[in-house]
Amino acid sequence: MDENRFMFASNLQKTYRKNAISTPVLKGVDMEVAEGEFLSVVGASGSGKSTLMHLLGSLDKPDVGEIHYRGRRIDNLSAEKRDYLRNHDFGFIFQFYHLLPELSALENVMIPLMIRSSAFSWLGNGSKARKRAVTLMEKVGLGHRMNHLPKELSGGEMQRTAIARALIGNPALLFADEPTGNLDEDTGREIVELLRELNEIDNVTIIMVTHNLEIARGTHRIIKLVAGHVEAPAEQQPEIFGLVRPDGIENNPGVQNPPDDTRRQAGL
Amino acid sequence: MYKLLLCWKYLRTRYLAMVCIVSVMLGVATLIVVNSVMGGFSTKLKERLHGLLSDVVLESYDYDGFTDAPSKMALIRNDPLLSNEVEAMTATLEIFAMLQFTFREVPFTRPVRIIGIEPESRKAVGGFAEHLVNPRNHDKPSFNLDESARERYVIRRASRGVDFPGPREAPNLNEPPPPDPPPSKPHEPQGVIVGYAIAHYRDRNAPADLPNKDVRTLEPGDEVVITTVSGAKLSPVFDRFVVADYFKSEMSEYDSNYVFMPIDHLQKLRTMEDRVTSIQIKLKDYDKAPKVVARLKELFANAPLEVQTWEQKQGAVLAAIRVEKGILNILLFLIIAVAGFGILAIFSMIVVEKTRDIGILKALGASNGGILTIFIGYGLLLGLVGAGLGTMIGLEITVHINDIEKFIASVTGQDIFPRDVYYFDKIPTDINLFSVLVVNLGSVGIAVLFSILPALRASMLHPVRALRYE
Repeated sequence: MDENRFMFASNLQKTYRKNAISTPVLKGVDMEVAEGEFLSVVGASGSGKSTLMHLLGSLDKPDVGEIHYRGRRIDNLSAEKRDYLRNHDFGFIFQFYHLLPELSALENVMIPLMIRSSAFSWLGNGSKARKRAVTLMEKVGLGHRMNHLPKELSGGEMQRTAIARALIGNPALLFADEPTGNLDEDTGREIVELLRELNEIDNVTIIMVTHNLEIARGTHRIIKLVAGHVEAPAEQQPEIFGLVRPDGIENNPGVQNPPDDTRRQAGL
Repeated sequence: MYKLLLCWKYLRTRYLAMVCIVSVMLGVATLIVVNSVMGGFSTKLKERLHGLLSDVVLESYDYDGFTDAPSKMALIRNDPLLSNEVEAMTATLEIFAMLQFTFREVPFTRPVRIIGIEPESRKAVGGFAEHLVNPRNHDKPSFNLDESARERYVIRRASRGVDFPGPREAPNLNEPPPPDPPPSKPHEPQGVIVGYAIAHYRDRNAPADLPNKDVRTLEPGDEVVITTVSGAKLSPVFDRFVVADYFKSEMSEYDSNYVFMPIDHLQKLRTMEDRVTSIQIKLKDYDKAPKVVARLKELFANAPLEVQTWEQKQGAVLAAIRVEKGILNILLFLIIAVAGFGILAIFSMIVVEKTRDIGILKALGASNGGILTIFIGYGLLLGLVGAGLGTMIGLEITVHINDIEKFIASVTGQDIFPRDVYYFDKIPTDINLFSVLVVNLGSVGIAVLFSILPALRASMLHPVRALRYE
């Protein structure tokens, strides 16, 4: 049965230690992502949502607990296998874009493919990779800024570049860590719109960490982290696939009083 | 692929890295210049040390020498092994002596070494005839006076009268007087070849633009008196001689000490006919010297003779040159080590600066090894570029070192390379490809070595912590 589940985590615990002080961040998180889902993880600062994403994205290892991805336990893999997983199966988008400042936008997009191939094999497939990077840049609407350095791009453009970079490896799962956190409202909405398109049209599974509930509401499902726990355990959530964005969000920005039962049960 | 790209981009965009390149470059350039000049000096010096000495010298332990040189030479010539290796041989007789002459009515006395030679065979052994100043003597060295010398001799003798101031009285009057010198031809003294520095001194007050500051104290045709010891009792003997030519090897030790005369005359003067102090042997192939020396030692095992190559004879000086060069190289490599520490410091800074980028690359799937490779490759690239530029600059300086010296001397007014100290008319250089290669490999190696530590640190960075790093 586990083999059919896309990704799930059980009893994830993580404590950061600095000298004698230890800070428990995750205190036993259970969660699941279905293939094709657009999941958002919300929570206050310090609730552990970024840590959860790092664990799921195999950037870090949990102290306790297991993470399974496509029928395989991935939290205890060797460094090489985790590197491979991150390069081939996962894509990452960060709040601060995290583009390499020395490289042009196009080169930044190609980096994951470069990491995959040796200099020698790059001779053979470099032009193909470049073509794909150009296609992706055009797809995210940056066909005209490919040879600019990151510092010459606006925040939204940088985030689009980062999305193109995350997509170039054809990932099955996209991690977005506060993708709109550094952008103004309109630009942020555009970015989320782009992510949703990717989810709907290209069927990319997305886990998005955000503290912006308005943006989270546009996704299929919301997990709320409070002090290292999922407030409403994933198992108890109703099936909410196909959830469309309800009307009236603009008129009702108050998040303390969600408009319907689904939301309340989803942990809001 | 990303490693190459990033190395290249970092090289082009980090100005701090230029500092690394410059420090490696300067170190390499210095090493190459110093090595080439030192090499030039030591090659020149070796040439000159070899100069008078033949490849292999068969020598007696004391001034009495040994008898029957011709039969010993015949023995060598008939030896099946040696006969194939020996190109030429000559017997010489060497003794210390005092040389006296008058210059501007003032008597001068110089300690010298008299070398009795047989000119023809000595020329065959080499290192002699080509150093004689009179070109007439290059092909056929002789102790005879040429026309102008003979003329001068006759005029000087006539103007001075017959008497030539003899050696001063021995201070101790209780000692028996020295025995009479052996009879010599009264009107035609034997010609001798004196070292150039004995017959000249450098006028330090001469105007700077004067090309030749040497003042001649002895001209061909001037008379000298040579006093030495004779026989087993070492009683003093002296005779008059006339200068026939100068010997100028540019090796001041030789030029200021040596006086050559025919070996048979010296033997007669010292009443030690048939005795010589050494046999000089020239080999066809110097690489075979150890074999020849071994065979000669075997051949003359019972005779009180020492067999040495010229290198063994000059061992102390050659060893000093080697030690000097070795120590200098160690010191200079410390310069590059300093450059290495610069690389270490700058790389550590770059790693800190690039912490977030390292986190990004790791998040995107770059392995620890990949990050390590980027930074070691970066160090390698810096080393290669620095060493390449340094080699170019170093070679350029070496080739033009004399012009540079002239320029600096003219700007500072300080004579950097006093030619009268070294007797070289220009700074000798010898670019040794092997040492250039070693310097290059060494400095690139040091650059890589010192980039390992920061590279390791970079590769060990935890991706999450690196990403959080602001």
